[in-house]
Amino acid sequence: MSQAAIGFQLLLRRLGHYGHVHAGEVAPGYSSLVRSASELEPAREDLVLYHHGIASELASALLHLDCRRGVVFHNITPPRFYAGTSLEEPLTAGRAQLAAMAGRVDVSIGVSHFNASELRVAGHGNVHTVPLFIEPYRFDVDAADEAWARELKRPGTPLVVSVSRVVPHKRVEDLLRLHAELERRSPGARLLVVGPYAAGSRYFRSLPKQKHVTFAGAVSHAGLVAAYRSADAFVSMSEHEGFGVPLVEAMACDVPVLAFAAAAVPETLDGRGIAFDEKSFGVLAELILTLKTDHTLKGRVLEGQQQRVAELSPESTQAALAEALELPKTAASRRHHRAGKPKIAIVVQRYGERIVGGAEAHARQLAQHLSARCGVTVLTTCASDHLTWADVLPEGEEHDGDVTVHRFRCGGERRMRAFNRLSDERFSQAQSRVDEEHWLAEQGPRAPGLLAHLADTKGRYDAYVFFTYLYAPTVLGLPLVASRSLLVPTAHDEPPLKFDLYADAFELPRALLCNTPEEAALVAQRFPKAARARIVGVGVDPLPDSGWRPVAEPYALYVGRIEAGKGLKEIVKHHGRDLPRLVLAGEGDLKLKGVEALGRISEQQKYDALRHAALAVVPSRYESLSLLALEAFACGTPVVGNAASAVVAGHLKRSGAGVAFSSPEGYASAVREVSARREKLSQKALAYAKRFRWPKVVEAYLEEIEKIRHTT
Amino acid sequence: MKLMGRDITGDKLLEEIRSRLQARGLEGPTGGPIRFDGLEPRVDPIAFNVEALSEHADPTRPLPLETHRAGLGRAVLLAKWLFRAGGQIFINEALARQKRFNGHVRDSYAQLSAEVKTLRERLEALEKPPAPVTKRKTK
Repeated sequence: MSQAAIGFQLLLRRLGHYGHVHAGEVAPGYSSLVRSASELEPAREDLVLYHHGIASELASALLHLDCRRGVVFHNITPPRFYAGTSLEEPLTAGRAQLAAMAGRVDVSIGVSHFNASELRVAGHGNVHTVPLFIEPYRFDVDAADEAWARELKRPGTPLVVSVSRVVPHKRVEDLLRLHAELERRSPGARLLVVGPYAAGSRYFRSLPKQKHVTFAGAVSHAGLVAAYRSADAFVSMSEHEGFGVPLVEAMACDVPVLAFAAAAVPETLDGRGIAFDEKSFGVLAELILTLKTDHTLKGRVLEGQQQRVAELSPESTQAALAEALELPKTAASRRHHRAGKPKIAIVVQRYGERIVGGAEAHARQLAQHLSARCGVTVLTTCASDHLTWADVLPEGEEHDGDVTVHRFRCGGERRMRAFNRLSDERFSQAQSRVDEEHWLAEQGPRAPGLLAHLADTKGRYDAYVFFTYLYAPTVLGLPLVASRSLLVPTAHDEPPLKFDLYADAFELPRALLCNTPEEAALVAQRFPKAARARIVGVGVDPLPDSGWRPVAEPYALYVGRIEAGKGLKEIVKHHGRDLPRLVLAGEGDLKLKGVEALGRISEQQKYDALRHAALAVVPSRYESLSLLALEAFACGTPVVGNAASAVVAGHLKRSGAGVAFSSPEGYASAVREVSARREKLSQKALAYAKRFRWPKVVEAYLEEIEKIRHTT
Repeated sequence: MKLMGRDITGDKLLEEIRSRLQARGLEGPTGGPIRFDGLEPRVDPIAFNVEALSEHADPTRPLPLETHRAGLGRAVLLAKWLFRAGGQIFINEALARQKRFNGHVRDSYAQLSAEVKTLRERLEALEKPPAPVTKRKTK
């Protein structure tokens, strides 16, 4: 049910509605993603959708909420399967609660027609079917845990996989009987049961012990994909399914599905795969072996299954949900074309004069340049530190010149050590939607007020410009106003870009306003369905020289955050004494020896320091624009940059105003070469910098904003 | 047994498999015909709650001992059993007032729900459209 709740939240977001997931019990570490049910305080016009299964105190709590109410019914296992056990009563109680909700909810949703029928039997009116869905690309071959897949793959010996909890109504004993038959025909045949089990339970202990049978327990998403994709057949012996998500997952993994036709199973398969109405184990064992050898038969079955997976798409579930809740089928955008100055909102995770960060500086410069031609409101957070997102700036409205700034609280600080551990774990393998969303919630900033503001003010702004694909306000906020949105992705090749949850941020906006051709190519490669990309970049207007220089002797300058991810450690190590002195300007948590650290410097000091530098250094491999390189070029200063960054390498190649290094040794020789040729390279730098002027950039943004104004 | 699927010829496939099995003397066991109960019936919430409150009104009555853990779980189960066996007299003493309270809750719920049922029936009768008045024949 937690998967379904997160799935419904996703679809509602795509429909332009913002909401939270609350639960009676929240697993440790997940409080950033799911709130406790005790925190639920809906407004009268809000809709609370309660996901119902076995008896829960939330069912009774729902009836007393002073708001619109709905129930999503996932079905309840018939109590007869658990007669005489402690589960019998909560199962019956769940059905009593279902009946008690009838007439007291505004809408009742079954995740299958079978469940919808049971809702009607329980007395519910306004019943709709909204099937569950999977995201098929999450089950691609490359999502599988490679090591486990290698271990499971043993050509010649058939492998049957079943995915379910090991509980009585799933009839694991029947899987074991089938396995015994299969082993008679094909010695060494294996059965893999994936799903949680209680080793001490009476049921588990009652199961006969057999050779070549593995109970894998709960596995990671990558493990699950490996299990499905290694199987010769997926078998379900379950005698009660309200939908049967594993059937669809198995179909998405191109494994033939054999399922006992109980409850909602025939509806979920809809004639695809192979359903059976009687458990004749010899026949089923023979059928599995036939499917393994008869490629024509298997091909036909798999082709049909793919069609079924396509039918159970997120899009069709979204349409069904919209119909059930009487919502428009796409994110609403009230038509309100106005003449005169456009009103735009710039959404960025942090904002302010003293905020250090490339994307944030970019957003502020854009806001200021656009404010001469548009009404600009910046929607941002109270954070000044992107590591903790601590709310240190005052909430509410303030002004930055002609720009209105509306700050919202982040509502939770990030603990970097725990977050880094989580990131290492999540980046190592493909993840489920829930785990990716959990990572994003931890990534933050959550800023619930900002998201609610976006959902509530769809008609207030002509266009929304989102900055940086990476953070929660973009991923969760952009779908709410997709038809009026533009994204400045500032994307570069970094681990989070592997997460599929970023697809909405890249695919839903009206256009992507990229900084460089390299960035646009990267996005197109990662998200082939991404929105139209336009290379816009930024303008760079250096301040006139005031004569200040940070040190008297020749120096190489870096300006930016002093952090490990910027590649500073590596260059400091190889910056020999014979090279110009290395000067670092900016704030950060990295302590480096043997350099001149200036700390934070003003805009005037930055341009002065760049102008007088022998060269600027761009050591980071993760750049989507490299504002530092452009600013250096605009000051006539050549650049030594990391060739691992396609963007930096691209600037250097196009401009000819510097040298890219691809090894630590190469760094030192690049610095020597550029220092020696500074004068000549300086001319090339100034010529290249002419391409980056604000009037051109502003015109490009206005063109895109006008396109939105004329079509929404 | 039936094999069902749009992408197979179920009867033909089943016949082929069965004849292969017969030829090799490998028919194997069957789970027998399966009982399909269809949709689950409605569980009346009031009746269920009255029954559940009655069933659990006495907190001194133990619930069945169960564990989901192997190994140590069995030892914990034994410890629980020993606690109950030796401490029932103290359990009764500690929960005496709770038992009385639960009894009052059960009775109150039963009386109030009976009242609700009666009121519902009366409401239904009042909301029922009046029977059409038959015109008396005039001579």
